[in-house]
Amino acid sequence: MSGTSTERMSNPSTRKVVVTGIGLALPGVATYGHLLGPLPVEGGFDPATGLRGREMRHKDRASRLALRAAEFALHDAGLTDADATFTGAADTTAVVVSTNLGNVDSVCEAADTIAREGVRGLSPLGLPQTSSNVIAGWVAIGYGLRGPNLTLCNGTTSGLDALAWARNLIVAGRAEAAVVVGVEPANDVTAKLLGEPSTDAAVAVVLEPADAVASRGARPRATIAGYARARDLAAALTGAGVTEEKSIGLWLGDEAGAGAGHLLAGTRRIGLEAQLGPLSGALGVLQCAAGAAFLESDAPGNVLATAGGPRHDAAAALLLTP
Amino acid sequence: MTWDITGMAAVANIGASPEEIFTALCAGQESRTPLRVFDPDKYRAVYAYEIDDRPEGGGDIPRRATRWLTTVVREAVADAGLDEDLSQIPVLVGTTMREQRSLELWWRENADVALEDLHFGTALKAAFGASTTYTFANACSATLYALGMATDMIELGMANTVVVAGTDAATESGFGTLDRVQNDIPDALRPFDTTHKGMLMGEGAAAVVVQRTGTGNGPVHARVRGVGMNCDAHHPTAPDPDGITRAIQDAYRRAGVQAQDIDLVMLHGSGTPRNDATESSVLRRVFDGAGPGPLMTAIKAMTGHTLGGSGLLSLVMAVLAMKERKVPPVLGLIDPIPEATGLGLVQGAPAVGDLTIAQIDAFGFGGINAVAIVEAAR
Repeated sequence: MSGTSTERMSNPSTRKVVVTGIGLALPGVATYGHLLGPLPVEGGFDPATGLRGREMRHKDRASRLALRAAEFALHDAGLTDADATFTGAADTTAVVVSTNLGNVDSVCEAADTIAREGVRGLSPLGLPQTSSNVIAGWVAIGYGLRGPNLTLCNGTTSGLDALAWARNLIVAGRAEAAVVVGVEPANDVTAKLLGEPSTDAAVAVVLEPADAVASRGARPRATIAGYARARDLAAALTGAGVTEEKSIGLWLGDEAGAGAGHLLAGTRRIGLEAQLGPLSGALGVLQCAAGAAFLESDAPGNVLATAGGPRHDAAAALLLTP
Repeated sequence: MTWDITGMAAVANIGASPEEIFTALCAGQESRTPLRVFDPDKYRAVYAYEIDDRPEGGGDIPRRATRWLTTVVREAVADAGLDEDLSQIPVLVGTTMREQRSLELWWRENADVALEDLHFGTALKAAFGASTTYTFANACSATLYALGMATDMIELGMANTVVVAGTDAATESGFGTLDRVQNDIPDALRPFDTTHKGMLMGEGAAAVVVQRTGTGNGPVHARVRGVGMNCDAHHPTAPDPDGITRAIQDAYRRAGVQAQDIDLVMLHGSGTPRNDATESSVLRRVFDGAGPGPLMTAIKAMTGHTLGGSGLLSLVMAVLAMKERKVPPVLGLIDPIPEATGLGLVQGAPAVGDLTIAQIDAFGFGGINAVAIVEAAR
């Protein structure tokens, strides 16, 4: 997935991977079409009522948010029946979760409890969320998804990275579909870490190979056409195959970064974090949902999503085409 | 397709290099130590398998997992004869806890830790100029998952060289909750023995350099034949025999091997009655009718459960076992559990034999399984 990967990634012999379903559990955003702005809107997901239910019991907040987003995305992709039971190929459906802060509340709360009462004060039900992959485990269990199960905790680029790895799992023949979830919960620990209050945020997209989508009559919303994680934005754009010839109709990115200005001058730009607050591991997946909304509109051009930059360990770029 | 392993490094409680760790495993001396890092009054567990590198006078410091990681990456890259500049080389890191221990120290003791320290890309960028870096929090199968995805990258033409690594330091939240859920607190990790009571944490890191066949500069340590990976989708913490069986079959299919081809199994062997019974029952069925069956060992008896890096540490030990034609015993294994009857568990002293193909098991919370098949390079 370095710069050297780009040619192969756009090689027509490689299996084309498309977005077939989108689900949001995000206050202030009711449908993914709203992501094109302005945000926030009235309504949207209400965690106070939306995270209730029998299947939500004994789970950490991030897992509950993720389960809701996954439920909406699988329904949107036409992969669940009226009882919300998964109807796709369970053995070959992957789960890929992006989160940086998903279980930090559980970790710090356990440390507090131990300091106060010793281990006898802990709940045995808290064991799963001591591991950062708890969310992906619950999503897999919720829908019986037995393919590869991956959790990216990769900083600000994590959501874009998760989409690229899900695509890789499909192209490499390890999965025939993937549910990609970006999720961050809002709590005291995340606010202290981020240095500002954040919102609960969960978004899920379903990825499938284009040929399979055609045969089952589903509707592709966007194609994952290129990706790179590199030292800076300019290198990431080159790695993702974004050149001046490629017409970018929408740039989803909050950090301008150096070296990209000349390429994208005059391009319409949307900063999701500027409108919604810090999104961390949810950002890249939400950008993908916004990109799909743009590609479904009448506006011309492809979509570029970027994250990271000079204040981070890398920058990532994802190119979406119709 | 196979992939060359051209560099290896590891650190654990019993050694600071693969050779030191392998020698200690073969010597088979008790390695657990009294719990030092956390206030013992708060815990029922008395022992752990810590790396003893904290400052004198008690207390803990942040970013130990990160420090071990950069150390093993540097050593593995040097072992492969590569330059330390990793700006063009992907680094895939598998971990269970990330820097959650640092998070705890930040939350409880105001240690100087930033959000960007939680994932390992920040340190890999500073140490090696690496940018194509990934932190996979894939519980205790994380490093074998990462190995499988590294082979995918090479197969898909995305890279010729990939560094795969894993690291974990014990966390209070993890150590404490594990203590809370184990009814009978183990005083040692005793995989597959009837006296096994459960898991105790270890600490450590491991790294390998994986290269497209023939592109390396130096000798090839071993070849990866294939890695299988999946998810049980069954229970958040308990293993599932069906999921483990499918992961083994996936690995065999990718590697183009059958059960009778396996000479050595590095068991997951976490020492919990649940894991040990499930893993041995599955392996009995897999190797039923496959001749005398492979030798088997479980290194967590001496390293403790090193979590995310444990699969890769087992793999590095398998490579040395094939090179040295010697398999370390399972420390403390006197009376195997009934489910393990007939399995070639090495007891008492190292076993010798010509070993060509090894299977490495790693199973994690969330029901995620990964199984690697590695072949000796001769």
